[in-house]
Amino acid sequence: MTGTGHWWLLTRQQLRGRTRSIVIWGIALGALGALYVALFPSMSELLGQYLEQASEQMRQFMGQLEDSMTIEGWMEMEFITSIIPIALPFMVIPMGARAVSGSEERKTLDLLLSNPLPRWHVIASALGTMAGALACVLSLTWILTYIAVPAAGVGLGPGRLAAALFVLWVFCLLFGALALLVSTWVRRSFLAIVIPAVVLVAMYVIGNLAQVSKSAEPIRVFSLFYHLGHPLKGDFPWTAVLLMLAAVCVIGAAAAAAFHRRDIYT
Amino acid sequence: MPAAITTQGLTKIYGRRLGIEGLDLEVRSGEIFGFIGPNGAGKTTTIRLLLDLLHPTRGRAEVLGLDSHRQSVEVRRSVGYLPGEFGLDVRMTGRQLVSNFARLRGMQDLGSADRLAERLGVDLELPTGRLSRGNRQKVGLVQALFHEPAVAILDEPTTGLDPLVQDTFLQLLREARAEGRTIFLSSHILSEVERVCDRVAIVRGGRLAALETTESLLERRRKRVTLVFAAPVDAAPFAALPGVSDVHAEGTTIWMSVGDGIDAVVKLAARYTLLDLNVEHPSLDEVFLGYYDQQQSAASAGPAGARP
Repeated sequence: MTGTGHWWLLTRQQLRGRTRSIVIWGIALGALGALYVALFPSMSELLGQYLEQASEQMRQFMGQLEDSMTIEGWMEMEFITSIIPIALPFMVIPMGARAVSGSEERKTLDLLLSNPLPRWHVIASALGTMAGALACVLSLTWILTYIAVPAAGVGLGPGRLAAALFVLWVFCLLFGALALLVSTWVRRSFLAIVIPAVVLVAMYVIGNLAQVSKSAEPIRVFSLFYHLGHPLKGDFPWTAVLLMLAAVCVIGAAAAAAFHRRDIYT
Repeated sequence: MPAAITTQGLTKIYGRRLGIEGLDLEVRSGEIFGFIGPNGAGKTTTIRLLLDLLHPTRGRAEVLGLDSHRQSVEVRRSVGYLPGEFGLDVRMTGRQLVSNFARLRGMQDLGSADRLAERLGVDLELPTGRLSRGNRQKVGLVQALFHEPAVAILDEPTTGLDPLVQDTFLQLLREARAEGRTIFLSSHILSEVERVCDRVAIVRGGRLAALETTESLLERRRKRVTLVFAAPVDAAPFAALPGVSDVHAEGTTIWMSVGDGIDAVVKLAARYTLLDLNVEHPSLDEVFLGYYDQQQSAASAGPAGARP
């Protein structure tokens, strides 16, 4: 068995064990995406009528709503930047938390580590499992969402939808990796879930606060939501994606180092 | 033949609590080595240090000549391990678990898993969540032994097993020894240790109290005998019997501590009208305490009796 073989084998075993959860998440998010696509024609018509009758001042005030009269703006506002990035991390955060402290609590880590595999393989396989699970969920989401596009008669490019979901793949993976790192530090999986969850919610609040309050604008850079860009409109956030991917690698390496030094208790 | 396991000054301290201190141990290849002590004595800590699940504070351990910390992956390649407490993925069957572990070990088949499962009487096709505690323990034993390791490290392996299965398990250990494999058996059940182990190490309070053959340990095991007679009986003849000590009498009852001389005690008691006879075997803790008392008495008598 080669060094790579171990973690890849573990990744496959763990992904197989999560098939049901992956399918449920994928179908749920995909159905939601399809619903938003299907709702767009009637929503845009209603919104258009409302804005036509509105005063110029009201139109300026409602500028953001005008943006959602395009399918890209609508999907970005209702689905891509609001639902997926706040919901999907809650699939991978528990996975990251369970990898070390959760397995320690369930007393399954001893048996796993009685096999001849280096500890970093446990970390690599946890990251691999999260990356794979997210990729499957987001692929299902893409397929189901895109199925509704021709039926609704809207012009949403498949490449742009894929690009937007790819950004979210990296975004969610980062929070899963953070949970994994915390789980190598603390002995309670509860904390390994709560800490990244609090960071996620705080970033979400900061991101939304900055949209409605000028005084909160300077701190919006601390929110990853601000850096997600507008890939549905062709504005792919290359820098943010590369930095998030780099952060995942650094966090993964830190988790492997922390796990290597750590005692495992029963 | 090189030692299967050696430890030199192996020490683990958890914050301010002592796990194990200065443990020097040598387990010979091809023996069944009992590692016994009361709960909290440091048995599990030692085992976890051998498996590199814990890192030593000081000292070192070697398994088959390999450093258990720096070469832990190589060590675990040759070691089968049953933890004292372990969890199983409840959705997974025993076969899936063993199959996954076989792949991690680079095996093309399940080794002796089916034979072990059959002898222990466990169904590997059932999800482990549907198994009783005893059957989960059997799955644990199968995963520890299916790859026929050169060294098996078993922490309280008979927990939850019924007496018949315990017998089968001990027979499996004897067969493994006959094949030249080494068994490191941690237990707090003296009876199972005395049935299979060649040598025994006693740990207490994080320190090695003794390392001796099973026979010499058993010689230290003294029974407590209570005799109830129809009328008061002179205790002096009992106290004079070989192997009898701590004799005291009250009314019609005589209590004594007996080593090898139970036959003489029964024959002497039979000369009187005996109403009741009770023989109590001491617990392992009591054996340890007795051992300690002897050691301390010897130590106070002179340097030759110093604790090992």
